[in-house]
Amino acid sequence: MANNAEDVENNFMQGQPESAAGPEPRQQQQQQQEGGTRLRTRGGSGVGRGEGGGPEQNGHPPAARPAVQEAEEDEDEEMTLKYGAKHVIMLFVPVTLCMAVVVATIKSVGFYTRKDGQRLIYTPFPEDTDTVGQRAVNSILNATIMITVIIVMTLVLVLLYKYRCYKVIHGWLFLSSLFLLFFFSYIYLQEVFKTYNVAMDYFTVVIVIWNFGVVGMMCIHWKGPLRLQQAYLIMISALMALVFIKYLPEWTAWLILAVISVYDLLAVLCPKGPLRILVETAQERNEPIFPALIYSSTMVWLVNMADTGGPRRESAEETQEAAAPEPAESPPPLSSPQDDGGFTPSWVSQQEHQLGQLQSTEETRRQIQQMPSARPPAEEDEEERGVKLGLGDFIFYSMLVGKAAASGDWNTTLACFVAILIGLCLTLLLLAIFKKALPALPISIFFGLVFYFATDNLVRPFMDKLALHQFYI
Amino acid sequence: MNLERLPNEEKLILCRKYYLGGFAFLPFLWLVNVVWFFREAFVKPAYTEQLQIKAYVKWSAVGLLFWVAVLTTWITIFQHFRAQWGEVGDSLSFTIPLGTP
Repeated sequence: MANNAEDVENNFMQGQPESAAGPEPRQQQQQQQEGGTRLRTRGGSGVGRGEGGGPEQNGHPPAARPAVQEAEEDEDEEMTLKYGAKHVIMLFVPVTLCMAVVVATIKSVGFYTRKDGQRLIYTPFPEDTDTVGQRAVNSILNATIMITVIIVMTLVLVLLYKYRCYKVIHGWLFLSSLFLLFFFSYIYLQEVFKTYNVAMDYFTVVIVIWNFGVVGMMCIHWKGPLRLQQAYLIMISALMALVFIKYLPEWTAWLILAVISVYDLLAVLCPKGPLRILVETAQERNEPIFPALIYSSTMVWLVNMADTGGPRRESAEETQEAAAPEPAESPPPLSSPQDDGGFTPSWVSQQEHQLGQLQSTEETRRQIQQMPSARPPAEEDEEERGVKLGLGDFIFYSMLVGKAAASGDWNTTLACFVAILIGLCLTLLLLAIFKKALPALPISIFFGLVFYFATDNLVRPFMDKLALHQFYI
Repeated sequence: MNLERLPNEEKLILCRKYYLGGFAFLPFLWLVNVVWFFREAFVKPAYTEQLQIKAYVKWSAVGLLFWVAVLTTWITIFQHFRAQWGEVGDSLSFTIPLGTP
């Protein structure tokens, strides 16, 4: 629920000196890297360009390095343009999966669309009032309360981070994910069994939930296979979205979606925004923040040859966010790559600068960030660069599509789905252009809302009429 | 987490932790262990720790099979005899289906 302060992760390229010359001489024999995973920033581009060869460079043959500056600028543009397709797909899949789970559940399990009259304590005003005006007022009040809660939680998180109360934050995240993984999945399972009229005994259920929960906690907070971790994050996002769909009254839900997009925009981009403050603090301290709620499509591996000689793993750890009672804060950010040194001295200085930034950058749930990769020149290192998207984004996207599905029509559902994906594409494009952390909610949610209301009020009656008169166009 | 990037000792430690963890009524953990470390244990060319990893994967598989057998048996028995057990069946049930059994 609450989108907490999330760190704006400044692209590590920000502020980096244009030491374009640095990476160039390093002709590293790197493995072919797919164009889509190229770094977009200068230095990174340099790094990225250092390896890999012709095929990725827009079909140009792997010629000897041309003049540094011009090549860089050209390639930079190429990078900017080329970046995106693969990453967009890497994000489409989990977002689609999450939405699919939510829509499937909404359509089949009646529990999540049934209004049982229960409300969350954050939305105390009922919406079944006598007049429309009263209903509007109530929903505005509800939305205000929610947003205030979110803002407060964000600020608390920023303060906790500023005053180095890491244990508190870790514990908070841990408890939240615990609650989400065990309690909500228990309820979900119960409702699914009820829907399909299946008998189930306590013993089996306890074993299943215990396994699901414990393995989930391990994958998210500790170490686990990447795919499983991604799957768990998708599942908990879906669970959270379902909770929202069930417990938020109609008008309140739509209002919250709109207001949260605006808040996201402000918090991430304004200089005084909590997220920005968080990021800057993290950058000053040059440290990764804490395991956060970020979905990462791959991991980045940095190899430090300078000290240990062994690879140090850097993983984007995603933790789960707070459970409903404390409406979700999505505590933020993820642990950035550790600062590994480079190899040659020039590399080291270059890399360290990059990596320094890398390490301090944070991601918030609502931001998409492209993870830079550091390439060790001497190794055939597959650099896996991923794009990251905060879990809050998943949740709100799925909530929007879920509500569209709940209102009944498939046209509306599909329209919202397409709208959100288009928004995501645009956001990634902007990310490629601006090269810094961006809020992922505003564009998608705006499109989603527009499409929802337009389709619901214009397209649906039209299609219904056409179908009624058996008029096919 | 990418296993490729881990040094072998750490792989072994991880495999062992997953194996030991499975004893806490966590067959899913054993399943993850088997699937995740399968390539490491059986497909990759040999390295020093591989023997132990192989052992852990094998024993995880054994444990997993045991649990699968137990659960399948219990679920079959429960689903079949639930109606006949009357009250006991109801108290054991998490969800009771509607309609006549």
